[in-house]
Amino acid sequence: MTETTLQVQAAETRGLRSDQASGLTLLALAGLVGWLNREFPVGTLADPGPGYVPLLLAVGLGVIGVLVAAFGVRSMPLRTLAWPEATRALVIMAACVVATFALERIGYRITIAALLVFFVGVVERKAWWVTALVAGVFSLASYHVVGVMLKVPLPRGPWGF
Amino acid sequence: MVETFNSLMMGFSVAFQPQVLMYAFFGCIIGTLVGMMPGLGPLAGISLLLPATFGLNPIIAIVLLSGVYYGAMYGGSTTSILMRIPGEAASVMTCVDGYAMTQQGRAGPALAIAAIGSFVAGTLGVIGLMLLAPTLADFALRFGPPEYTALLLMGLFVLAYMSGGSMLKTLAMAVFGLLLGMIGIDVMSGYTRFSFGITELGDGVGIVPVAVGLFGISEILMTAGQADPPKVQQPTLRQLVPTASDLRQSVGPIARGSLLGFMIGIIPGSAHIISSFVSYGMERRLSKTPERFGQGAIEGVAGPESANNAAATGAFVPMLALGIPTGPVTAVMLAAIMVHGILPGPMLIQQQPDLFWGFVASMYVGNVVLLVLNLPMVGLFVNLLRIPYAYLYPCILAFCIVGCYSVSNSTMDVWIMLVMGVVGYVLRKFGFDLAPVALGLVLGPMLELSLRQSLAMSGGDYAIFLQRPIAVTMLVLAVVLLFFAVKPLIFKGKDWRSKVGLDEPADS
Repeated sequence: MTETTLQVQAAETRGLRSDQASGLTLLALAGLVGWLNREFPVGTLADPGPGYVPLLLAVGLGVIGVLVAAFGVRSMPLRTLAWPEATRALVIMAACVVATFALERIGYRITIAALLVFFVGVVERKAWWVTALVAGVFSLASYHVVGVMLKVPLPRGPWGF
Repeated sequence: MVETFNSLMMGFSVAFQPQVLMYAFFGCIIGTLVGMMPGLGPLAGISLLLPATFGLNPIIAIVLLSGVYYGAMYGGSTTSILMRIPGEAASVMTCVDGYAMTQQGRAGPALAIAAIGSFVAGTLGVIGLMLLAPTLADFALRFGPPEYTALLLMGLFVLAYMSGGSMLKTLAMAVFGLLLGMIGIDVMSGYTRFSFGITELGDGVGIVPVAVGLFGISEILMTAGQADPPKVQQPTLRQLVPTASDLRQSVGPIARGSLLGFMIGIIPGSAHIISSFVSYGMERRLSKTPERFGQGAIEGVAGPESANNAAATGAFVPMLALGIPTGPVTAVMLAAIMVHGILPGPMLIQQQPDLFWGFVASMYVGNVVLLVLNLPMVGLFVNLLRIPYAYLYPCILAFCIVGCYSVSNSTMDVWIMLVMGVVGYVLRKFGFDLAPVALGLVLGPMLELSLRQSLAMSGGDYAIFLQRPIAVTMLVLAVVLLFFAVKPLIFKGKDWRSKVGLDEPADS
């Protein structure tokens, strides 16, 4: 085994493990819930209030978080966790966020058509005519099926469609 | 028995109505297509279709959705066998030997045995449902809030014990789901909890956006940027015929898988997923030639496929008899029934016999439809797999958005879906099972309400849970399960997961 390999292996054995990170995150979430729960009366054991069960669950989540972290010493090192799809995932989420903002403002058909143009044309770099076909057909057909046939009131934009 | 037979005949008179038959047929087709598409499992498919059932009568709604459910179970096996892509989680085990058979040029028999196993298991499962659900419902009429509290607690411990992965992580996800269920107005005090001033959250977080986000969106994020699917084999009708030896080898695994799957299906958790893992492990253990497993053993297809279909049917027993979902799919289906003003629970079978027996009869019909449909048309269905993923995922995303928006015509549900999509993506990267989140979300408010009602009944005395025989029995079972779940953590022993070939739990 080369020295570099040994150094890499040694580096991988150091630092936070994935389950330790998970456990600590669960513990932090439990703390957050407990903090938010202070607004609600907990009541008593005999007469629980609206804050009783959430507090009980927060405590439970915290304990489980500690146990996950404690038993997580043999899990994979956090730094070795690969995120090859993260950039693309981020782009997808950003586009969905914009589409959700636009949905009730510019209407269903335009929003969905624009979303598909972005994914098929910009992200996937397909030919413009294929992109236009997919975006046009899908947005109009899905509007017809969901909005007209199934009578779901899908949002319309200020231009009436 | 005569009464059951008469009720079933009444059910068939409902199921054979042309409109019901048509929707059962559509449900099976949609389910098969949904099950074949990576990124759209039965849960996401049912969730997306849920708003479309609002305008239908309740029998048709449930027939359609259940058709999607077991159609997706079968559809998932097609992609597993032909492409080694499990369309849904329960088909993971089918990939192993199913794809090995495809590589040996035996995709046809693998698909045929999967279809026959699914049909047999589905039919036996419906017989079990028919016989067990009314009996359980009669028994459940004795249940009060303490019994429901004990039952729900026991269900959560069963979920932890039977989970496919780490017990601690499963419990963490169940608690996370229960906490999500706390969002909204507390029915006993009127307090609005954890809504951050958002009016729409007063009604709580809906199961549909959570389910679509956790399972649909997170899958798309996980597979973002992948290459187009590989080439697909299209077996001809002649190639589908299994040999006598194939059939002989499959009889035992199908029978065992059906029984095992149905029993696992009744208890809470990711029943159909667990059942396929347990069945595979059991068949490998029982085999005289276990070394064939992984190399194209037909028993490795027959057992898990039968088990996951029987489990899908078994899951309807507590849903219809007790009004308690055993998993996220049945939780969404309960929502579909409740939208029509029908309260699921022990009285359902007495008050809505046409719904219950019509549903049971339609499942017999659905199983036949699936067998008739899937075998000859498998060549046609696999064309769907030729659609490049670059076109498929944007359309699935658009479906997710419109599906969630349609539930209550509110973008809040779409926001919840997106947030849960990111949460699901991160949780999957860290090896968490997502099904307990959806289950916890549904069980949370039920558990809290029944606990507080029990204490109100007893004037704050917890002994009420020990004074009622049914409640105390279930609590004792819960404690025993908790002991078995915790045992591997303390004594460093092997638990059932490692015995059936699942990964060692990370926390043991």
